[in-house]
Amino acid sequence: MDLRGNIALITGSSRGIGAAIAKAFAHEGATVAINYKNNALVADKIVNECRELGGIAECFQADVTIPSECRSLINSVASEFGKLDILVNNAFHPYNFIPEKRKMFWDLEWEHYQSQIEGSLLSTHSLCKAAFPLMQKTANGKIVNITTDLISKPSIPYHEYTTAKSALTGFSKNLAAEMGPFGIRVNCVAPGLVYPTDSSAETKENLKEMIIAQTPLRRIANPEDVAGAVLFLASDWSRFITGQTIFVDGGLIMN
Amino acid sequence: MPSKGGNCDQINYKSNYPSNKIYKGRNENTVNQTNIIRSIMEFINSNNKTENEFNELAIEIFEYQYANNSPFNLFVKQQGSSPKVAKTWKDIPPLPISAFKRVNLSCCPPAKTGRTFMTSGTTQINMKGKSFHPTLSVYDRSMIKNFKARFLPEIEKIRMGILFPKEDVMPNSSLAHYLALAFKTFGTPNSGYYLNSTGIEFKKLFKDLKISQETKEPVAILGASFSIVHLLDEMKKLGKSFQLPIGSKILDTGGFKGQSREVEQEEFYEQLSSAFGIPRRNCINMYGMTELSTQFYDCGNEICPSVKTGPHWIKSKVVDPLTKREVKSGDVGLLVHCDLAHFNIVSTILTEDMGVERDSGFILLGRAVGENAKGCSLAADEFLNSIKNND
Amino acid sequence: MTDFIENAGHVPDFIKNDITWEKLTYSQNSHSLTVNVPILTPVQCDQLARHIKDNSRQFLKKQTVDSIIDLVDQVIDRLLNRDDPIRKKAEQLLPLITGFDPEMSRLSLTRYLKTFRKPQLLRFVSEDFSNPKILDDFQPIVKGGFAKAYGPDCLLHIWSGNVPGLPLWSLISGLLVKAGNIGKIASSEPLFASWFTKLLIEIEPKLADCLAILWWEGGTQDQENSLLQHSDVVLAYGDNDTIKQIRDRTPIKTRFLSHGHKISFGIISAQVLDPQKVWSVAHNAAADIVQYDQQGCYSPHIYFVEAGTNITPQAFAKYVAHELSCFQKKFPRRVLNTKEAIQLASWQNNQELESVSNPRKEIFRDKDGAWTVIFNESDKDFCLSGLNRTISIIEVNSLNQVVPIISPYKDFLQTASLAVAPDELFSLSRQLGEHGVTRITSIGSMTAPEAGWHHDGRFNLLDLVTFTEIESFLEGYSDMFANYTD
Repeated sequence: MDLRGNIALITGSSRGIGAAIAKAFAHEGATVAINYKNNALVADKIVNECRELGGIAECFQADVTIPSECRSLINSVASEFGKLDILVNNAFHPYNFIPEKRKMFWDLEWEHYQSQIEGSLLSTHSLCKAAFPLMQKTANGKIVNITTDLISKPSIPYHEYTTAKSALTGFSKNLAAEMGPFGIRVNCVAPGLVYPTDSSAETKENLKEMIIAQTPLRRIANPEDVAGAVLFLASDWSRFITGQTIFVDGGLIMN
Repeated sequence: MPSKGGNCDQINYKSNYPSNKIYKGRNENTVNQTNIIRSIMEFINSNNKTENEFNELAIEIFEYQYANNSPFNLFVKQQGSSPKVAKTWKDIPPLPISAFKRVNLSCCPPAKTGRTFMTSGTTQINMKGKSFHPTLSVYDRSMIKNFKARFLPEIEKIRMGILFPKEDVMPNSSLAHYLALAFKTFGTPNSGYYLNSTGIEFKKLFKDLKISQETKEPVAILGASFSIVHLLDEMKKLGKSFQLPIGSKILDTGGFKGQSREVEQEEFYEQLSSAFGIPRRNCINMYGMTELSTQFYDCGNEICPSVKTGPHWIKSKVVDPLTKREVKSGDVGLLVHCDLAHFNIVSTILTEDMGVERDSGFILLGRAVGENAKGCSLAADEFLNSIKNND
Repeated sequence: MTDFIENAGHVPDFIKNDITWEKLTYSQNSHSLTVNVPILTPVQCDQLARHIKDNSRQFLKKQTVDSIIDLVDQVIDRLLNRDDPIRKKAEQLLPLITGFDPEMSRLSLTRYLKTFRKPQLLRFVSEDFSNPKILDDFQPIVKGGFAKAYGPDCLLHIWSGNVPGLPLWSLISGLLVKAGNIGKIASSEPLFASWFTKLLIEIEPKLADCLAILWWEGGTQDQENSLLQHSDVVLAYGDNDTIKQIRDRTPIKTRFLSHGHKISFGIISAQVLDPQKVWSVAHNAAADIVQYDQQGCYSPHIYFVEAGTNITPQAFAKYVAHELSCFQKKFPRRVLNTKEAIQLASWQNNQELESVSNPRKEIFRDKDGAWTVIFNESDKDFCLSGLNRTISIIEVNSLNQVVPIISPYKDFLQTASLAVAPDELFSLSRQLGEHGVTRITSIGSMTAPEAGWHHDGRFNLLDLVTFTEIESFLEGYSDMFANYTD
């Protein structure tokens, strides 16, 4: 897959799934904009790894939960690289995926939901809105939003997280319908449990084993597995696909 | 202007320079004019530069021009490019030379100490292509080294006859400067200009050529192609011809009206060779432009059309006019040149000359002339013409 | 790689063996086509014109207009039949000559031919003659007396352009008024008129002596002058230079009619720009651009789009851009030759350079240069299209702003396509008519004029004929000499 000449912005890409996606893009020759919130050193390391893979990469600090920072992030990427072809909304609000410690419905206040919805939807909304005029220039643009396979089957009801990701799925479908006539595609990638990442660091072995047992491909996803689906949706291979969600969980969920 | 729709972001994007507080670039050092000139001079002087080194300097110059030349900066952004995404000189979006007429392209404010070269062809100053040189040191270095290598490799100086106005008569002509530089650097004291306000001074020229012929002192005739055509016409009229001494040469440049058809070139060099007794391998054609600081030469015109090549600090490619992508080797397209020496304006330009790649150089196929669509819808320029004709 | 050879043109038998043929060659996607076209000497042209005049007087002029309509209808019927050998050939070879997408060529050919069926031809004739029988015999006329319309003995058509089948308009017009026809085919599409003629003669062999289809190099004056001397009416298509050049050599007694290159455009009212309607308007606007790659005089150069709703003219431009990219996949633009590409590239470069310094101008374009949309936020930046699937979209604050913008182009205007509400239709049409627009249609129909349209606002048939009138007085006067006079 040759992505040379494509500019991709991946939010939250200094670590975890985001970093794997960034490196995968770099490996295919794309120019990668690495976005990070706090840790410039880690981001620099990913930038260097991307360059070693033959891609062009720069890092951009921005807190994507703040709309004004989203706008200036898009503007800086455009002015550094000249355009924007691919936007991967990967960043999300911190969340502890520890089944034993999750909040029960009766513990949850609206604010908990609010905070997750803002973490997932507000940033995506702001970034898509800012990226839209750039992507329209060539009637070609690709947006990939990272959700979760829990939206289809909440095997563990992380209420506020999964609700927010479900909202993001709905948002993506509407956006796909609106943007299709401008040649812009919007799709989602929904991973299952991905290991290792910071969010899954504390996941217990027995839970992993349980998931593995139910997964036809008999293992847990790694960040590179997610990157593969993102690359597909960001490339011309998927040029007639929009408004879809690809589940990357080894067949755990089948729709 | 009022901003509307979701247009405002784009307008900001259009008018902003690349500086941004949250950006962390790979090259924090600012490149200034002195450094750039030093790097280019070093590059020109050295003879063993690699492709990689060319690309590195080309991109450094691209960054410099992108940062300091605001119309160029906007052009690059509009093309969806930036120095950050360029890995080789071929990734630099070539600026169409018509831009040299429209906007003031310079990385520094115009100063009295510099020189502006302008294209000829029209009297309206705002329709001329302009190149401002804050210093001619790079241009001169490029010209001298290349001229020496391509026109006078075997001797230091030669008696010159120049068929072009002197530099003080045409201070904005890059060709006048080029020839003056050749004259000053490589001409023997008995060299001379043979063109004044009334035209070619045939008598004086014929007299001096006769002397050369008798004293066996080699002579070089340099000038615009059309002046040399006039000279040939005059000699034909008078039934004159010379047998100039071995080592004599001719350099013509600029081509002719309705240019570069093979037959015409063939005829031209055949006549030239027999009129002066100079073998066709010593009849050299130079291809240069106001929009460049480096020239291309052929190795004589034994075979027409000849292959043009440049020195190691200029590179060329042939592109499809519409997509601007490089064509297959051997296909016809527009020439793009990347001239490191043209540091103050824009180094990578899209010419209006057709060419085809050949033996590490190119064959020049003349000016690109368009043709209107075949149908019965009025074409834009056809409309302008009809308005003109009705006036 | 397939090599096709096709004979074009038609000359009557008496001269057939004495003429020379020239080869025109075409190639597309590794197929090549050689078209042999007949070349006559000036002397032969002279003989030919005399022959055609005589025969058209002796045969064609004696046919009724209804029988000619039947004849043309039979020819069109064959051309519409996809199993007919000539139709098959047309589908195969026209794309090869013009470079237009085969599927687009086929669909538009059918759509075009349908406008020449019998019902449409009957309408065509009655558009110009309230009583079509006037072409057959003296008919009573309103002011009193009788009149009969006579077509020219020799009608010379000089065709140009590469829109397939365009010569049919004038050739059929010539036949309907019973003219002897001599047509010069264009190198950019020499076949269609030839096939039509061939079928016509197959059905009515006597027409072989009433028609000729020839070719000569544009600008070659000897043959042309010889034919111009004989022609009663000349119908010339082409750019202004060509037309002027022919007109200057046309004898004073000859009626000279011409169709020069034109500018057409569309107007989109803000009332149309809501989220429900915008897509189909943008789709149709793009379809008009794509059809024949804007080679037609009726093809759009510009769309004027009224601002005022949340679908801005800029957004409309973006919709059109994507529609053009979809059409590129469905009906790819024909491959441009180097010179055409250079011309288009130079237009594009200039637009790009201008937009660099002009924030009111924005460009949406395909990375392969297959289409370009120029959006101009202000009419100050008025620009024409570079054709070949490039469009200029100009924002206006009110529809009334359009007419002052186009009025300098009055002499060149032809079709205006509208997407407006009924209350805007007539007021706008009135203004457009005053400023030279001769055809007003809907967005999406620009390239398919309806049967019987008045090309450039003129009478297709009426302009070709002369009338002979029997004054009413004479009727009574001749009564005086009747042997039954009391």
